[in-house]
Order: sequence, then structure tokens, then C-alpha cells
Amino acid sequence: NRMLYSHVRDSRAPAQPHGCQLSSRTLLDLGFTETQAESVCEGVIKALGKRSDSYDMSTIMALLVLGLNSSSIVKIFDKSPGLYAEKGPVVQQRIQNLSKLGLVEGCIQRVISHYPQILIIPAKNVNTAVQFLKTKCLFTSQHVREILRDSPQVVEEDLNDVEYKFQYAYFRMGVKQPDMVKARLFKVDMEELRCRHCFLERRGFYQTPDKKGQTLIVNPKLKDFLAAPEEVYLAQFAKATKEELDVFRALLAREDKDEGIKEEYWRIE
Amino acid sequence: TKWAATRPKVSSHELALQNFDATYSMQFGELWPSVRVSLLSEQKYGALINNFSGDDTVTQLQSLGCRDFVASSLDMESGDAAQSISDDTCIHLSKVSISPNLRCFVFPKGDTSRFKAARQDSYGCLSYYLMDAASVLPVLALNVQKGQSVLDLCAAPGGKTLALLQTQTIRFLWVNDWSVSRMSRLQRTLLSYLPDQLCSEDKLHFTCFDGRKWQELGENTFDKVLVDVPCTTDRHSLVEESNNIFSRSRTKERQNLPLCQTQLLLSGLQAVRKGGEVVYSTCTLSQLQNQCVVEQAMKVAEQELGIYSEVVDLQPFTSLFKDTFNFAPDMNVGVMVLPHLTANFGPMYFCKLRRLT
Ligand SMILES: C[S@@+](CC[C@H](N)C(=O)[O-])C[C@H]1O[C@@H](n2cnc3c(N)ncnc32)[C@H](O)[C@@H]1O
Repeated sequence: NRMLYSHVRDSRAPAQPHGCQLSSRTLLDLGFTETQAESVCEGVIKALGKRSDSYDMSTIMALLVLGLNSSSIVKIFDKSPGLYAEKGPVVQQRIQNLSKLGLVEGCIQRVISHYPQILIIPAKNVNTAVQFLKTKCLFTSQHVREILRDSPQVVEEDLNDVEYKFQYAYFRMGVKQPDMVKARLFKVDMEELRCRHCFLERRGFYQTPDKKGQTLIVNPKLKDFLAAPEEVYLAQFAKATKEELDVFRALLAREDKDEGIKEEYWRIE
Repeated sequence: TKWAATRPKVSSHELALQNFDATYSMQFGELWPSVRVSLLSEQKYGALINNFSGDDTVTQLQSLGCRDFVASSLDMESGDAAQSISDDTCIHLSKVSISPNLRCFVFPKGDTSRFKAARQDSYGCLSYYLMDAASVLPVLALNVQKGQSVLDLCAAPGGKTLALLQTQTIRFLWVNDWSVSRMSRLQRTLLSYLPDQLCSEDKLHFTCFDGRKWQELGENTFDKVLVDVPCTTDRHSLVEESNNIFSRSRTKERQNLPLCQTQLLLSGLQAVRKGGEVVYSTCTLSQLQNQCVVEQAMKVAEQELGIYSEVVDLQPFTSLFKDTFNFAPDMNVGVMVLPHLTANFGPMYFCKLRRLT
């Protein structure tokens, strides 16, 4: 039987590094294809070097138990090779922490697939960021769950930057927390947020609400103009050309550099 | 760090913006947002070359990627004319005469580079003067010929005066501005750009009269008159709080502007000889301070002074510069440089009148 023959030959291939032999076979048993198994083994060697001998499979097991399939797992390690170096029990504990924070079935898998770095960050840091969002920015637990789901990288950002972006949206743009969550605010760069907002504002299409929350014009919704592709943003919201926006972006960056964004008149302290 | 939830009482620049939103959105319709964002963003400058400086700034400026918009428009003209001689518009174009001595460097459309401050040459003369490049246009439109006498009725702080002198065609220039302090600033500026012999009494004359009462002087034989009037200085009023014409304490003065401007233009029409030309200019977008003033002054000049004048068509003139400036469409009297982010010059309105009687 040709199939059997080829299988035997491959599993005995002398090129296979010693430390992964067992794992490779185990991986195949766990449903990984040969290429996938090879990629994982190579990753382990790259990440751990000599210590790759002692690599245990508990991280991979934890991911499999979560219901992630082999190809997702390979992608996860590709995106975040640092994960090979994390101890399995620690990773498991981080996964547990995420589900304690309310990331439910389906959601947790998505977050890990999109942003595997989250399993490299200590649970303590994740919790600090979450607490910060709740106490400093007054997001509800439900909001925080959605923020973690849509923009998990927020847990890795400098909290001063997070606070700045929040305050910009809240005070300068007059956006309330639920709308920030809907707009996936924390997914967007501060520069892009400011550029899109200021461009609209200076063109006369956006106003900071007054004390009573009122404006003379109807502001477009943050979720509509922030997430829109640039062409759509230009055509529907800014009613401008790409040349204008490009020049504006350059000028705004220079304004911020020249005077320091913190000097603006609507800011105390 | 905290953000203020409330803003201070409405400030003058906000009043200005509210005023502009109300009037200019009507006046410019769909064009207004583009003008608005430009007014609220960094303006572009031009470097007016000082022909009296010994430095070779031109090569330096060229190496930075900017070009003399006056010369390049003339190149374009001759190029066009050579290509299609039968074309009607080219015959028009070739009629436009432009002083070849005026040189003003600008960065190309969409380029946001800035100029460095001008340096002194070995004689202490500055190599260029940074100004809104659109301010050169009224001077170019005045088209001073060799040996002519010119009145600059509202001259301070002197950017256009300096441009007039760069043409090196003027026999005699009378420089007037009502404000004594602004006038002395102008004189200091000129001193740092011009050699002494050019500033002699028989070539340059400085006064601080109220331009509205010019006829009392009886000096009415100028070949050319520039009437660059005080106005709401739209760009300035949107960013500067101090000395803002939209501050409540200056309401009267602001409402009085169109009348004052009309009187100044009337003075200009009286000061120019028969056949001579007047250029009226402002840096506002306001129709009330632009077209309406021109029409009103022409009417009053006819009815009360018997002075007839005609509007000179500047279409051929502006078509030379359309690659550098963004001109407003559909103007029936005069020309408007509309600010646009890719060419953020202006606003600059100007209109040329020829005195007929
Ligand atoms: C727009 S500025 C002129 C700018 C100048 N032409 C330049 O290019 O630098 C208007 C000037 O008019 C002057 N002015 C105001 N009222 C006047 C009057 N009644 N007679 C003469 N000058 C007047 C002001 O002092 C101000 O300097």
C-alpha cells in the first residue's frame, strides 16, 4: 500500500528534530496535518531552543479544549510566537480569567484567534485595564466585555493614552459610553480619530455639544463615520476630496506637534 | 488631566465663525465647507523675492522645490500660444501684460512645506518677504508701466507696497495709511528691504491721512491707485482673539466697514487721472464688502461726482494663475481667491476699474 509506505517513511524522516518527534506524532494524533505539525515543531524550537525538549503540550491542549481547531491554533502561534514560551498552566489561568471577565463561548475563541497576544499578557494587567475602563471611564461590565471582544489590544496600551482617547471622545466630541462601544472607539488610532473628527468639525459638519448636550446641527454618529472606509467617509460625511484630507492630515499632525495638543482651549489644567 | 465640559462665554473668533457660517454658506453653497476648513487651517505663504538683495535666494528656493508662480504662469502663456495660435483665448492671453520683475515663490499645490524666515545679505537687506501669495495678485493686476505714478491709499503693513516697488517701474509712489503706528512699521519694513537711494523724497512719499478725505488734498493725477481697504480680515478673525473686529466693542466699526470702504474707493476714483486705473482689494469673502462696495462706489462716483468708470475684465489675467490659486467661479464683478487646503491662499478679492471721465 503506497499510502502506508509514504506515511512510514515520513514519520521516520531523519530530518525531524529529535525533541519534536514525540510531539509531532502526538500532534498528528490530535488531528494536525503534517505541515501544521511541522510548523508547530519549528516554532517551538525557534522559541525555546535547547529547552524545546521539555516542551509540554498543555497550551495546545488548552486551546483544543476551548474548541479551536488545528488550523486556528497554527495561526495563533504564527501571529504570536511568544506564546510557545508561556507555561501551559499560566496560559490556562489567563483563559480562565478572560471567561471570568465575561467573555462567553464563541467570543473568547474569537478574541484569542484575533489577538493571541492576550494570552501572553499577565492576567493582572488585563484586570488593571478592565478596572480602569470601569472606574475611570465609567463603562459598565457589559461595555467592557464588548470592548475586550472588539478591541482586545486595549489591555496592552498605555492607560494614559486610553484615558486621553476616552476623554477626547467624551468631552470634545460629546459621545457617551454606549456609542463609543458601538463605534469600536478603542480600535482606532488617536490620530485617525482626531483627524476624522476635526476635519468634519472644521468643515462645519460636527459640533461639540453644549452643557445641555445640544448642538445647532445634527452630528453624524461616531460609529458611522469612524468605521467607514476612507472613500465612504469622504463622500458621505466630509463631502471632500482625498487631496484635501491628505493635506489636512499633514497640517493637523504639524499643529499637534507645534503647539502640543494639550494646549487647546477646551482643556483644563 | 481633565477636559472642560463647558466652554468660556462666546469669544470673538467664535462670533466670527457663526457670522461666516450664516452668510457664507448662503453665498458659496456647497463650496463653503472646503473654504471653511481652509480658513481654520494653516495658511500658505509665498516668498516675494527682494530684487534689491544681493543673495542668490532663487537657487536656494528652487532647490527646496518651490517655483516662482509669476514666471511659471508666463511660461505657460507663451507655451500655450505657440501650441495653438488660432485659439481665441490665446489672443486674449497674450494681451495680459505682467511685470516681469515681480517674483513670488510658492510650494506646489498640496505641498505643505514652510519657508524659513528670510536672511540678511551682506548689506543687511532681507532676501525675501513672506506674505499671502494671493496679495501679489492685486499688485500684478494694477500692472504699473514704466514711469507711472502710483498711490497706495491704505498701505500698512506694507506687503503690497513692497511688491509695487519690486516692479522697478514706478516713477513716484505715494504711500498712505491712516494709522501712524502701522505706518512707522511699514517704513521700518521698507528700510530692511530697500537701498537708501530708493527711499528718497522724490520717489517715495509717506503720509498718514484719512483716505476718505483724499479729495481735500487735491492730488488727483495718479496713473494707478491701489485701494486695499480695511475689512473683516476673515482668516485673522477666526484665529486671533486680540484686536478682533467681531468683538462686541467693535460692532459699530464693523457695521460701518462697507461705508468706509466705499468712501475709500471713491477717493481712489478721484485720485486717479482720466484713463488711469484703480484696483480695489480686500481679504474678506463678504459680498457686502466686495462687489457691493464696488457697485455702490461706481454709482455714487457717477451720480455725485460725474466720474464714469468701467470694470476691467480680469478673466484673462486669472486664467494665467489658475494652477497656483483657487479662484471662485461665477464672479460677475471682480475676482476672488478662495482658500482651498491644497492651495491655502486668500481670501483675496480684487476688482480693477478704469476711470473714463
Ligand atoms: C488691509 S490693511 C492694508 C494692507 C496693506 N495694503 C498690505 O498689503 O500690507 C488696511 C489698512 O487701512 C488702514 N486704514 C483704515 N482706515 C483708513 C482710512 N480711513 N484711511 C487710510 N487708511 C486707513 C489701516 O490702518 C490698515 O493698515
